Amino acid sequence: MTTTPAPSSIPALPDEAIAVRIRNLNYFFGQGELRKQVLFDINLDLPKGEIVIMTGPSGSGKTTLLTLIGALRTVPDGSLKVLGRDIVGMGRSQLVDVRRNIGFIFQAHNLFDSLSAAQNVEMAVELAPNWREKRRQAVAILTQLGLSDRVDYKPKALSGGQKQRVAIARALVNQPPLILADEPTAALDKKSGRDVVTLMQQLAKSEGRTILMVTHDNRILDVADRIVTMVDGRLDSDENLGHFVDTHDPKTLDRRMFIL
Amino acid sequence: MQTPLALLNLVHERTRLIVAIAGVAFAVILVFMNLGFLGSLSKTASLFYQEMNADIFLISPQALEITTTKPFPIERVYQAAGVRGVERAMPLYVGYLQWRNPETRQSRAVFAFGFNLNDPLFLLPELQEPQTLATLRQPDTVLIDRLSRPEYGPLEPGTETEADRRRVVVGGQYSLGGAFAADATVIMSDQNFRRYLSPIPLTLVNLGLVKLQPDADLQAVKAALQRTLPPDVRVLTQAEIIESDRDYWIGTTSTGFIFGLGVAVSVVVGIVIVYQVLYTDITSHLKQYATLKAMGYRSRFLFSTVIQEAVILAVLGYIPGFIVALGLYELTYRATSGGLPIAMELERAITVLILTIIMCSISGLISVNKVVSADPADVFS
Repeated sequence: MTTTPAPSSIPALPDEAIAVRIRNLNYFFGQGELRKQVLFDINLDLPKGEIVIMTGPSGSGKTTLLTLIGALRTVPDGSLKVLGRDIVGMGRSQLVDVRRNIGFIFQAHNLFDSLSAAQNVEMAVELAPNWREKRRQAVAILTQLGLSDRVDYKPKALSGGQKQRVAIARALVNQPPLILADEPTAALDKKSGRDVVTLMQQLAKSEGRTILMVTHDNRILDVADRIVTMVDGRLDSDENLGHFVDTHDPKTLDRRMFIL
Repeated sequence: MQTPLALLNLVHERTRLIVAIAGVAFAVILVFMNLGFLGSLSKTASLFYQEMNADIFLISPQALEITTTKPFPIERVYQAAGVRGVERAMPLYVGYLQWRNPETRQSRAVFAFGFNLNDPLFLLPELQEPQTLATLRQPDTVLIDRLSRPEYGPLEPGTETEADRRRVVVGGQYSLGGAFAADATVIMSDQNFRRYLSPIPLTLVNLGLVKLQPDADLQAVKAALQRTLPPDVRVLTQAEIIESDRDYWIGTTSTGFIFGLGVAVSVVVGIVIVYQVLYTDITSHLKQYATLKAMGYRSRFLFSTVIQEAVILAVLGYIPGFIVALGLYELTYRATSGGLPIAMELERAITVLILTIIMCSISGLISVNKVVSADPADVFS
C-alpha cells in the first residue's frame, strides 16, 4: 500500500516536453497540533499532450493534489513546476497568473444562472489580453461542443449535459495548455458523460493539450494514456491503461466499457 | 464591452431586486423627508427677516431667537440712526397674544409684530399700500397671516374676535408663514401693540432694524454701530441674524438632533436592507465567484462587482425614492397650507444621491469580505 513509485519509473523527459513536474511534494492541512499530512512525497510528471486519469478512494488526496497543480493553493514545500514555472513559494498574485493558463472543469458546472451560455464563456475570454472578438470565440467553441443552437440560452434552459459542455467550453475557450478536471462526468448520465469525455479527448489529441482528470467513473477510463492511483496521500501506482485493466479485479471493472 | 456581471446578477433575481429597490427607495424617502423638514426649518428661520426692510439688526445679547428676545431701550435705535451711513433705524416690537377662534371660542397663541406705521419696515406687498396702513391706524385692528393654521377660525377682513381679552378686528391679510415659532402671526401698529401687551412701554423694543444708505458699506457701518452702541445690544447683519436663529433652532433645540437622527436611522435601515440583499446574492453565487477566481480573476474584480451591484441598487432605488419624496413634499406643503416651505432643492437631491451611493457602498464593503475571501480551492469540493 505504501509503495511509492521510484523516480526511475518516471520516463526521463526533457523539461520542455513536461507540462507538470512534481518532486517530493508534501502537503499539510491545519496548524499546530491539528496539523495533518495529506500528501506524502509525491513524484509525478505529466508530459505534454497526455491524458492522465487519477483514481483512488475518497479522501486519498486526489482533489488536494489537483488544487495544488491548479495553483489554487500556496505550496510551501517540495517542487511543483506547472507549465515551466515553479509555483512553490509563489504569492497569491503570481498564482493567479499561472491559473490563467489552466482550464478547470468541475463536477458542478458552476455557471452563472444570470448569464447566457455564451456570456458564461465570454467571462473566460475577458481574462485574455485581447477579447474584442469574445462573442465570436465563445460561439465558435460552443459550436464545436455541439451547442450552436443554445448559445443564448440561460443555464436553467439547458440539460445537465449541455450545462457541463458550456462549462467545458468556458475552460477550453482560451486554449489552455493544461486542463484539470474533477469528476467531470459525475453529474451526467452515461451517454452525456461519454460525449463529454470524447470531446475532451479529441481536443487533447488534436491540439496537444495536457489533461489531468480525477474520476471514479470506470466508464471513461479508456480515454487515458496513463492512470495513476492515489491511496492515503501517496501515489500508489502509475501505469498505462492496459496494465491497469489487467491488474484490477474484473468484477469491479467492467471491461466492456473499454471498447469504444 | 465587458460582460456586465453585476447588473445581470441583480436583474436575474427579479423579486430580490424589487425588494432591494424598495428598501433603498424607502431609506431615500426617509432621508429626503428628514432633510426636507430640516431644510424648511432653516428656511423659516430666515422667513421673517427676509420680509423686513433692513440690512442690520440690533438685538439683545440675551435673545435666543426672534420669539425669545429681551427688550432693550429704544435709545439704541435712536443712537443707531445717527451713525454715518445709516438711512433709517426702526424699532420693532414682538410678543405672543392669545387669539380666540371666533367659532370655537378656543384661544391659541399668535405671534404679534408691532411697528411704527411711519416706518417702511416690512417688505410685504400688502403693507406697501396706503389703504392698508390707514386700516392699521384704527384701534384694535390688525393684519393676520393668511397662511395661519385653520385652528384660528375664519380670518377674513372684518372678522371680529378677541386677543388677550381685548376686542380685535381683522383689517386685512398678508402671506408670511409662521415658521416653527408660531402657528399664526399678526401685524399691527405699535400703538395697538401697546394696548394688547400692556404693561410693556414703547420705550423698550425687541429689535432695532437699521436700513443703510444705498452706497454705505455694510461691514463698516456694522463696525461703527458696534463702536457707538453700549454692549446691551448686539449688532448683526441680516445674514448673521438669520444664521443665529437657524443655529438656535437646529443646534440648541433638539430639532436638528431629531432630524439628524432621523437621517442616520434611515441610512442604517438602508445599509441593513442592501447588505441583506447583497449578502444573499453573494452567498448564492459563492461557487461561481470561487470559479471565477480559479479561472484567474483577481479579488479586485469580485470586489468591484459587488460594489457595482451596490451602486446600481443605490441609483435604481434613488429614482423612485426621489419621485415619491417630491410627492410627499407637495403633500406636506399643502397640509401646512404653505406654512412649511418644504421643496426639493438641487443641492439636497445631489447630497442624498451621494449619501445613497455611500450607504449602499458601505453595505457592499461589509458583505464583500465573504466574496474576496472565497477560496478558489473550494470549487473542487
